[in-house]
Amino acid sequence: MKAFTNANPRDLPQAVKLAHEARVAGHTAAIAGGGSDLLGMAKDHLVDPDVLIHLRGIKGLDRVTEQAGGARIGGQITLDALSTHPLVRSRYAVLAEAAESVATPQIRNVGTLAGNVCQRPWCWYFRNGFPCYKAGGNQCFSVTGENQFHAIFGGGPSFIVHPSDTAPALVALDAKFRIVGLSGERVVPAADFFVLPKQNAARENALADDEVLASIEIPTSSAGMRSTYHKILDREAWTHAVVSAAFVLVMDKDVCRSARIVLGGVAPIPWRVPEAERLLAGQRVTPELAAQVGETALAGATPLRKNAYKVPLTKAVVRRTLVELAARA
Amino acid sequence: MSSKNKRKISRRKFLEGTGVALVAAAEAPSLAADDKASPSGPRTPIRVTVNGATHRIEVEDRWTLVELLRDHFMLTGTKIGCDRGECGACTVLADGKPVYSCSQLAVWMDGRSIQTVEGLAHGDQLDPLQTAFIEHDAPQCGFCTSGQLMAAKGLVAHHPHATEEEVRAGLTGNICRCSAYNRYVEATLAVAGTVPTGGTAKFVAAPGAPLAPLQTAGHPTPRIDAMERVTGKANYTGDVHLPGMLYARVLRSPHPHARIRSIDVSQAAAMPGIKAVITHENCTVVWGAGGVAGGVQYNDQVKKITKQRRYAFNNPVRFVGDPVAAVAAVDRHLAEEALAKIRVDYEVLAFVLDPEEALKPDAPQVWPEGNLSLNAQNEAKPIGQRRGNIEEGLRAAEHVFENRFSTAFVHNAQMEPRACVALWEGDKLTVYTPTGGIANCRHDIARDLGIPDEKVRVISQYMGGNFGNKNQNQDADLITAMLAKQAGAPVKLEMSRKEDFIGMHGRWPTIQYFKVGVDRESALTAIQLRGYSGMGGYRKNSGAIGGIEAFHCANLETAIYPVYTNRTVSGNFRGPEFPQGYFGFQSMMDDVAYRVMMDPVEFALKNMTRKPGEQAEYTNYTLEECIRRGAEAFEWKKRWRAEPGSDRGPVKRGAGMAYMAFRSGVGRSNAVIRVDAKGQYYVHVGVTDVGAGAKTTMGLIAAEALGVPLSKVKVIWGDTDRCPYSVGESGSRTTIMTGQAVVEAARDIRRQIGEKGLPAGNDFLTAEAAPNPTVAGGKVRNAFGAHFVEVEADTELGHLRVVKYLAVHDCGRIINPLTAEGQIKGGALMGIGMALHEDLLYDHQTGQPLTPGYYGARVLTHRDAPNIEVMFIESDDGYGPYGAKSIGESGKVPAVGAVANAVFNALGHRLKDLPITRDKVLGVLV
Repeated sequence: MKAFTNANPRDLPQAVKLAHEARVAGHTAAIAGGGSDLLGMAKDHLVDPDVLIHLRGIKGLDRVTEQAGGARIGGQITLDALSTHPLVRSRYAVLAEAAESVATPQIRNVGTLAGNVCQRPWCWYFRNGFPCYKAGGNQCFSVTGENQFHAIFGGGPSFIVHPSDTAPALVALDAKFRIVGLSGERVVPAADFFVLPKQNAARENALADDEVLASIEIPTSSAGMRSTYHKILDREAWTHAVVSAAFVLVMDKDVCRSARIVLGGVAPIPWRVPEAERLLAGQRVTPELAAQVGETALAGATPLRKNAYKVPLTKAVVRRTLVELAARA
Repeated sequence: MSSKNKRKISRRKFLEGTGVALVAAAEAPSLAADDKASPSGPRTPIRVTVNGATHRIEVEDRWTLVELLRDHFMLTGTKIGCDRGECGACTVLADGKPVYSCSQLAVWMDGRSIQTVEGLAHGDQLDPLQTAFIEHDAPQCGFCTSGQLMAAKGLVAHHPHATEEEVRAGLTGNICRCSAYNRYVEATLAVAGTVPTGGTAKFVAAPGAPLAPLQTAGHPTPRIDAMERVTGKANYTGDVHLPGMLYARVLRSPHPHARIRSIDVSQAAAMPGIKAVITHENCTVVWGAGGVAGGVQYNDQVKKITKQRRYAFNNPVRFVGDPVAAVAAVDRHLAEEALAKIRVDYEVLAFVLDPEEALKPDAPQVWPEGNLSLNAQNEAKPIGQRRGNIEEGLRAAEHVFENRFSTAFVHNAQMEPRACVALWEGDKLTVYTPTGGIANCRHDIARDLGIPDEKVRVISQYMGGNFGNKNQNQDADLITAMLAKQAGAPVKLEMSRKEDFIGMHGRWPTIQYFKVGVDRESALTAIQLRGYSGMGGYRKNSGAIGGIEAFHCANLETAIYPVYTNRTVSGNFRGPEFPQGYFGFQSMMDDVAYRVMMDPVEFALKNMTRKPGEQAEYTNYTLEECIRRGAEAFEWKKRWRAEPGSDRGPVKRGAGMAYMAFRSGVGRSNAVIRVDAKGQYYVHVGVTDVGAGAKTTMGLIAAEALGVPLSKVKVIWGDTDRCPYSVGESGSRTTIMTGQAVVEAARDIRRQIGEKGLPAGNDFLTAEAAPNPTVAGGKVRNAFGAHFVEVEADTELGHLRVVKYLAVHDCGRIINPLTAEGQIKGGALMGIGMALHEDLLYDHQTGQPLTPGYYGARVLTHRDAPNIEVMFIESDDGYGPYGAKSIGESGKVPAVGAVANAVFNALGHRLKDLPITRDKVLGVLV
């Protein structure tokens, strides 16, 4: 790693100010939550910060607060704390399960929710230093290269898949993202937080240079709400999602009132499937309907040369998870 | 190394305050001597508690926690396996929770409390986990052990009664390449008070003469160095710290194939603190063992005639990762920064990755002589063998079947990345290096550097795994030695995990075309194999494809083409040519059995080898016993599906088997035994213990042969100045060859004691043995084994999981049942990984590797590792120490084929290209 200065800001406004000042001075800055991924990238010179702004020392950013029936979750909560938090477990199982599915215990002990949501892609081209869109270049090597793990939806010009497990869960929960910038705070709905490569090929989300993700707000949990996260890994632990599915259903006995289904590992952003969701409204979840939901969810997928397997795989994941979740007491 | 020197540095700045800290300071003086000379970026004072002692220390902001612990507190029990949060070797507790210390900055630890492996024991009182790890023989090479311990410590602190599944989940961030996963889980469960589901190995005597009972050998015995391995005291190469030591880094080719027009090192060399820079221009050392004609063991004859010579630095460079330059600096970060200042002008050349492509006439030429690697006579010929008449055999066949199989490049991925420390004292070179063969390594270094053997001392006290890529010398040894010479100071080189993946070597990938004939009774009439092995830019080993010896067939022919490509170099990896060869052969035969509608066990019993080469005799023959007993214990008839893929529903099961006959030859090795006046025996053997337990095995054999308890035997290992020649820990030979030398030296010293009595005063009696036995009567000595695997396949998710695994082996007499079982389990688990996961994938557009590392290669984790059941058929054929045969490689040889056959039986589709990943499974199903 190149030499850098570690900065321990006392609060988020100071953190973004430090980032801004560094940039104005012609330096590069990087924001570290748990730091696991960032340090790996710095060692590989995928980032070469002059200033590393460490958020974990800031007090009070790692709490889960109940508010107006919903919850506010500090961005610096560790994935371990998130996955074991009683309120999160009981009301937002999808988020707890997603957090629990990340990497390894050691990484979950330091990795943060904000860091997980904002982590850079794990595309092997990007991670091996190829000058691709995500590294500021103007090419996606996966298109004609090794694309087993790349996007089947929303790709172009970059075909990365979003690497986060918690992100699909948050979109499924209709979360809002509270962002702190130089001029104060702004709140962005999940649908606007994640950004397709068409909009900005170099980035995965709407954070500007001098902004940080401060906290996540999850709306009221309705009666009858049940949720789950199903992740397919490439070995039994410590891989990013080959594909995944986050489900939030509102059930009235065995009838589904509404559904939000968000797929992971299939697109450069968490991929919501509204048409598939609509099929469920007011319906009993039968195996046949679940299969139809799976088919609809994957309609329009455009696989690359080596990732067509993701289509039947994701269909099966959607169908089976739906049946299983609907049958839960 | 001497603590005197470590104390030379000023502690004033770094340690202060509490009495505890002062005590700790006295015990563990810190900070490298040359700190002031380093260029150093911004620094910050922190207060950190390590193992209960509080330190104030100024850290550089970019130091990781593991760097602080290892380089500055000299707490080297914590290891660096990947430096990327992928393997867990660096796990410590931060405020009681396991974290990867490679992925945390030291400066972030301000005000926090760290516990390392050194802080587990209270004085002489081991932590219960450490005791359980010793008793269950959890550590093999030991390099991941500290991390496993700390993860387990964090787990049981929060879940004192963890279940087996919880333990697997809790430890799953800790990779063990020896694959001692079952043992780590069992040991942790023992502390949690939970009974594990896996049992210990069963022992069955082979039919025939009963085994004579042994006193000391043959009983489960914890390793003689287990204490060092569970306390972090075992001194691996990277833990060696010499006064005034410099840090080295290697600049590697970013291109798969390029000619270096020029290198400008002036800027790098001018940086303050840079003490040496070497390139192909000023370091023209040949790395003999790095690329040898015919893939044979490098020797003076080969050195003289070979046209395809590999240097420490080559021009042209032939793969991404080929060394281009190296620097030595007073600080590890400075060394890295200097690499960026070296300007290389490359003429980029066309490259080729695929061995079949490489043999086409218009393919880019990796070597001027062509891409078919030359043999030891500089002839471009395939490796082959023939027996009988292949054409006649095929003509006589009732059915002829053909198949193409392929296997991937699988990296050895031993937990310890390549490291070396070199020190010149006058004209004497001392090299600390992880090697399984100190004698070969010394001889190779001396030959490459053009100095006499006795001017080189090789020391390898502990090493973090081997699996075939740590025998002979490595380029790291030569580069470090040359840097040390130029700098006039000791130098340490530690490769990163990525460098190790692309700069060392792994198993050669193969493409195998089979043609097999059977007669009306389903007996083999002909086996033909044409194969291509991708050797990478240099041919480090044979490139053969093995396994044909397992079959009884009058007509056979193999032609294997070892081919140069612009991929990373291939070489020996646990059973060099066999796991990939047996995958092909045993898949082929499983397919033939299926097509002639025969149970593969019946087909094996009909067609397996009974006489080597159909003529000679085996020293003993237990293959049938292995297969029959295994099939019975595994309940083969119940688990194997006569109609593959016939289970109803999306989740299907199936069973597969594969067997092997594996070399177990006798040969030359040396041992020296000395005895003092108190009757203490010193056994000098050139072993280093790659993880298989050789030190303990030698101790047990010595104790048995001497007729004394193990406590009376001290084994002296791993130092060419203190140990006689040993063949080295490769080819599963150490127990047999070095063990036999120990037996004979023991016999001699007993004779001497019988004649003269024990020596008096300061005298010693000494015996040396250098036996070079042969097997009489043209017989062949083999180990045998058969593996039985049940796989569960979720056909909708493309998910495969091994649910039952039985490995049956005749490894002759088992000297240490505790460590032998671990070898078989580890081999089988590695085989599962090779069958289902591992590959070094390349981008065909650029020739760049995409998956170098534990994350990318999908090396098995705790959660992937099923319990492996082991059964030993014990025998004594009168050779080797007490009848011991080879073990180390055996466990892996049939594993890959057995898993692949089980996948076929479950799915009803044969997947012929390794690894059998989800995309391939779903690709044939939907």
